[in-house]
Amino acid sequence: MARLVQQLINGTVLGATIGLIALGYTMVYGIIQLINFAHGEIFMIGAFSGLYAYNHLIPEALRQNVAVTLPLVMLAAIVASTTVAVLAERLAYRPLRNAPRLAPLITAIGVSIALQEAIRLFYPGGKNRQSFPRIISGDTFQIGGVTIAWTSVFTVVTAVVLMLALEAFVNRTRLGKAMRATSQDPETARLMGIDTDKVIVVAFMLGGALAGVAGVIQGVRFTAIDFHIGFLAGIKAFTAAVLGGIGNIRGAVLGGFVIGIVEALATEYLPRGSDWKDVWAFVVLVVVLTFRPQGLLGEQVAVRS
Amino acid sequence: MSDSRAARVREALITGARRYVGPRRPPVALAGAVLAAAGSFTPWATFFFGYPGKMTLAGFPGGARTYVLVLVAPALACLTRLPGRRSASIAGAAGALAVSAGNLIAIANRGGGLGAVAYGAWLATAGGLLLVAAAVSCPPDTAPELAERRRPAPVEQAAVAVSLALVLAFVWYGLGVDEPTRFASFVATVAFAAGAVAGLGVTGWLEALYQRHRTVTLVASALAAVAFPFTQDGTAQWIRVFTYIGILAAAAIGLNVVVGLAGLLDLGYIAFFGVGAYVAALVSGAGVTTSHIVLPFGVAMVLGACVAAVFGVVIGAPTLRLRGDYLAIVTLAFGEIFRIVVNNWNSVTRGPNGLSRIPHLALGSFDFGEPHRVLGVMLPHFSNYYFLGLVLLAWVILVFTRLNDSRIGRAWVAIREDETAAAAMGVNTVRLKLLAFAIGAFLAGLAGTVNAHFGTQVSPEQYTFLDSVTLLAAVVLGGMGTVPGALIGSTALILIPEKLRAFQDPRLLLFGLALVLMMRFRPEGLWPSSRMKAELHHDEEPAP
Repeated sequence: MARLVQQLINGTVLGATIGLIALGYTMVYGIIQLINFAHGEIFMIGAFSGLYAYNHLIPEALRQNVAVTLPLVMLAAIVASTTVAVLAERLAYRPLRNAPRLAPLITAIGVSIALQEAIRLFYPGGKNRQSFPRIISGDTFQIGGVTIAWTSVFTVVTAVVLMLALEAFVNRTRLGKAMRATSQDPETARLMGIDTDKVIVVAFMLGGALAGVAGVIQGVRFTAIDFHIGFLAGIKAFTAAVLGGIGNIRGAVLGGFVIGIVEALATEYLPRGSDWKDVWAFVVLVVVLTFRPQGLLGEQVAVRS
Repeated sequence: MSDSRAARVREALITGARRYVGPRRPPVALAGAVLAAAGSFTPWATFFFGYPGKMTLAGFPGGARTYVLVLVAPALACLTRLPGRRSASIAGAAGALAVSAGNLIAIANRGGGLGAVAYGAWLATAGGLLLVAAAVSCPPDTAPELAERRRPAPVEQAAVAVSLALVLAFVWYGLGVDEPTRFASFVATVAFAAGAVAGLGVTGWLEALYQRHRTVTLVASALAAVAFPFTQDGTAQWIRVFTYIGILAAAAIGLNVVVGLAGLLDLGYIAFFGVGAYVAALVSGAGVTTSHIVLPFGVAMVLGACVAAVFGVVIGAPTLRLRGDYLAIVTLAFGEIFRIVVNNWNSVTRGPNGLSRIPHLALGSFDFGEPHRVLGVMLPHFSNYYFLGLVLLAWVILVFTRLNDSRIGRAWVAIREDETAAAAMGVNTVRLKLLAFAIGAFLAGLAGTVNAHFGTQVSPEQYTFLDSVTLLAAVVLGGMGTVPGALIGSTALILIPEKLRAFQDPRLLLFGLALVLMMRFRPEGLWPSSRMKAELHHDEEPAP
């Protein structure tokens, strides 16, 4: 029993990171129907920027002080991820707004490869794994035979809080309303005086910021990052977004938890589970798209041809 | 917003050039040409492997300076009355500027600062700037009517042969250019010169000629392809590279059926190639393997291709009703599942180690692993695979063109353009999409079986997502839905990195950027199908 609970918890923690990234996919897809393939790379860039800030911007004397390092590292990650996301939108995707559907997807793949390579080539030592500082205490505590790390608590709390904040933003603010309107019908939204370009940029910014946070969390939890982490994380997050129902904010986080838990349980209970651990996200993706393409909670995208 | 700002800046620059340079176009252009020519005969670098003297035409950076001279010629088109002179001279002038400035930067970079740059490079760059100004000041083009004019058949056929010979000569020359900066300059020169030639309407004319004299074109290309190994003095390097290009091009054409004709984006296509390769390897009697079945290669080829096609149907059947971009992601997922399965299924695929020591093919007493002497020329053993690859490629091209011209091909295009309308017209969309998937998978599997023997080993890391993207990029770069496009695309994507060893490291970075730039500025590819071109530029005015 403790083993099962332990795996459920591990899965939830894993799923929280995936869910944070999935929010970016779901918002962008919800508004412009683009699979922003480079979103996983935005997450990776967040992790690397956080690391850079820790190593180069924070004075050594302050590095042990969580109250200083955590906000600064997060801030650096958010700034970098948001900037890159907005630049990608501005330079690569926007010019293709009215192109046939496959063109932006191919562009997104190009952006993804270029960003990965940019980090590999230009980040000092980027070709190898980089160790990431354990900013938060690595301590654990026990509840009924289940071991929980403080980083896990931090991860899940952050993900849930950010999801709620995002939902409040989308449902309560003027800009959020504009986002919903644009995702329903961009033409009409424009006619109603909504600056749809701005809305799209905001979607990319929010997605980028959340991915940046996820990047730092990933670094803190695994204490190592490399330029490859974006690819798998991106696929898993996209799967989560589709699973929850694309365009649906709660769905994205729910999908993240489901993927995380499936992966944790499969790794634990299936023979040679850890060799196969990355296959489950793909299997879930195929199964969901085949049998329930609208996702668990239903998508909130008007299907347009 | 700032797109229109960029457009306004561009507009202002053109107006400015027209107003200030326009009336003085001939002297400006001539001055530019003289400067560029002077630059190409004077020293560019004050250093050369520690040699302090100033270099002349034969010295560093060698060819780059002659390339400038080559590009000055089309840049002067702005002084003539040729239709298309503006685009031609802009391409030439931009090329001259790019080559001079690029080399200037390379010299400064290598020599440790601008001090390394001698006056010749500055002269050429200044000349390039003047030429660009003159070219931009040209009045708008009239459409070249070269393509519509007809000449006597022998003349046209000779033009076909000469143009193909020229292409061959360029490739041959390019293979001999070893220094990376110089090779980059060469590629830039060819690209800009091609742009200039296209601007004058020559490319369109040649395309029409190739259409009219298909047999001559085909025979000439086939002859050139067959002759290639005989020109290599028995060295294997380029024969090996071109064999690989041939095999990959066959797979790329298979992908072109799926992406180019039916419009289904497949991001896991390399898996079918891998299925074919693994099947062939398993029944080949490889030295390091898990199976003891040995089948003749002909059977293995058909088997590999059929297994791949079955996979295509199995994957396609449940997923083809999805939206285009979802389908892309599902195929990506299948591609990754294939790789992970192959990586872990030790009892069959030997996991990450793969199957190796796959024996060379043997047709009767003809051993593909041995060099053979033909017509007094010693051909290295790779040429055997080269010819096999050619046969494969020719067959795949035949299949593709026949499909494209058939009822099925037209139905695919209808599906690609508008699935709902196609279904309403009575096209059985699901069955045809499935057929496209299966045929694409079959062709990839076929190419995979050949590749297993050619490469003598198969392992999971040969079939990653990046390989799928490379194939896709070959199709996109060349032009979706055309055979020459897939050929050009695969050649460029393999040959250029192979030549630019110095750029091996940033290869993928450039590759990613190239995808982005292609989609932005020339989504129809280098060799577009006329249909695709019309579709992608429907919002633009036709040329006046």
